[in-house]
Amino acid sequence: MPRPRLAISLLALLLAACSPAASSGPSASAALRHVTLLLGFRPDVQFAPYYVGQQDGYYADAGLEVTIEHKQAPDVQRLVADGQAEFGVADATDVMIARTSGVPVVYVSTLYERFPVAIIGRKGTVPSDPAGLAGKKIGTPGKFGSSWHALLALLAAGGLGEKDVTIREYPQFNQADGLAAGDVDLITGFRNNEPLRLEAQGIAVDLLTIDQIAPLPGPGTIVGQALLDSDPDLVRRFAQATARAQRAVIDDPDLGLQAAKVSVPAIAEDLDTARAVLEATTVLWAGESGFGDGAIDVSRWRKAYDIMRSLGFIDGSVPVEQMIAPSIVGGG
Amino acid sequence: MTRVAAALLSLAAFLALWKVVTLIGGYPDYILPAPELVASRGARAIASGVLWQHTGATLLEVVLGFGLGAVAAIAAGIALGKSVLIERVLSPYIVAAQAVPILALAPLLDIWFGGGLLARVIICALIVFFPIAIATMVGIRSADPLLAEMLRSLGAGPSQVTTRLEIPSALPVIFGGLRVGVTLAVIGAVVAEWAGASIGLGVLINIANQGLFDTPLMFVALVTLAVIGLTFYGLVLAVERRVVHP
Repeated sequence: MPRPRLAISLLALLLAACSPAASSGPSASAALRHVTLLLGFRPDVQFAPYYVGQQDGYYADAGLEVTIEHKQAPDVQRLVADGQAEFGVADATDVMIARTSGVPVVYVSTLYERFPVAIIGRKGTVPSDPAGLAGKKIGTPGKFGSSWHALLALLAAGGLGEKDVTIREYPQFNQADGLAAGDVDLITGFRNNEPLRLEAQGIAVDLLTIDQIAPLPGPGTIVGQALLDSDPDLVRRFAQATARAQRAVIDDPDLGLQAAKVSVPAIAEDLDTARAVLEATTVLWAGESGFGDGAIDVSRWRKAYDIMRSLGFIDGSVPVEQMIAPSIVGGG
Repeated sequence: MTRVAAALLSLAAFLALWKVVTLIGGYPDYILPAPELVASRGARAIASGVLWQHTGATLLEVVLGFGLGAVAAIAAGIALGKSVLIERVLSPYIVAAQAVPILALAPLLDIWFGGGLLARVIICALIVFFPIAIATMVGIRSADPLLAEMLRSLGAGPSQVTTRLEIPSALPVIFGGLRVGVTLAVIGAVVAEWAGASIGLGVLINIANQGLFDTPLMFVALVTLAVIGLTFYGLVLAVERRVVHP
């Protein structure tokens, strides 16, 4: 029986009800298993594989009916861990922190094989070596999330620390506006987002990517530990169907664009930018050896775990093996 | 029952209700932490000094933002109350500004004003402005017209009518606006910090929620904000009692 929600608890108190709230079990007659997928950020063309999976029958073929909802990133992990949604998409580095903090989520398949965060600046102003970041004023959403983890990892790789740069925080993720306005020298941002926005404003940019300097795993699909333990087959079917849809979008980005137009009608207002974002995104989905169908790079996770530990984000009390489930779609 | 005893009883009932909800709901700590867990996390945050640093920054923003917003709002409210022309010209802008979600505008204000304390104080002042300005305007207009006429017949000029009659008679309503405004100032400080800041309780909420997945610490910050709001509300009430009902 599902745990009563807050409102039910309060109602029970107010009415002094003797019995717990009524259960609401799944429909016995449903042909497809209904599951909920939580995505962070906002509806966007970057989530095209999920829209294709929904609309083109990839999930139905796997026996699933998927409802997509958008939540704040930390809430995705909490709700998935609590069983209020079956699946979510989260940054790998956040999964490490959440799991260490007692939030029982597990990363089961990779969505981005390349770490999407980069240091971005006007053309000719971005150092090619992280040591060159010394003295720069850098805009970032805040001291949380994958952008912050990547920035500190880069600084550490260059023998620097937070004190060696000036941090300007943009909690509303508008650091690109800060760069355009000249408030900061450099910003953190997603390679498939901020550079395109800035170039659309006529600002040519350079990037310092992190992949070759401090390998961190990218965002992926997460589930609650309880669901993984009780129904690994469900998790596998979802991850495999998502990977099939993702591969279809890599092979034919227009397929993803059309599905995204249905799920996010606003995309139609600027199809060129949406197409550019999607094409830049598909590059990040595949690693150096091509798209891996969601497989988890365990070696990369171990290296990232050590980096996150050395930076003080995690204390090592939860081993990396409890944070990932490479057996779901493979990986090594 | 004394006021203090009633407040303590109310607090105890609230904590008991909170605890019972966590027990009945069976929520994990990362969804709804129990009050004793929040208290214990708060003690650690106080001992480490983290809570003081963030609270100090927010307090400064609240005081400066409320001060600036209240002074500007009272001045504007007097002008609006005394001049129908000014009201007709400015009211649409004031109401429209109030209707614009400050959360959407704050990131731009943060960039326009350089992202420092000044930007946060201005954002806070903007949130405070509307209820105080409207209360002041209503209060000014509530002055007895017969008394105003009598003052004028005795030779009082417009400024004397304002200072001797309209403002004193408007004080209860103005203080009503100040009470609303001071609680909004706390929200305004957090909104300003969410638009761009490195320190403050709004920042602590972000770090606890998004960076550390430390829900008890987030509750510590929320409780601290509530205490700040209650304290400032009580201060305004105390000043009101001395000024309006000495």
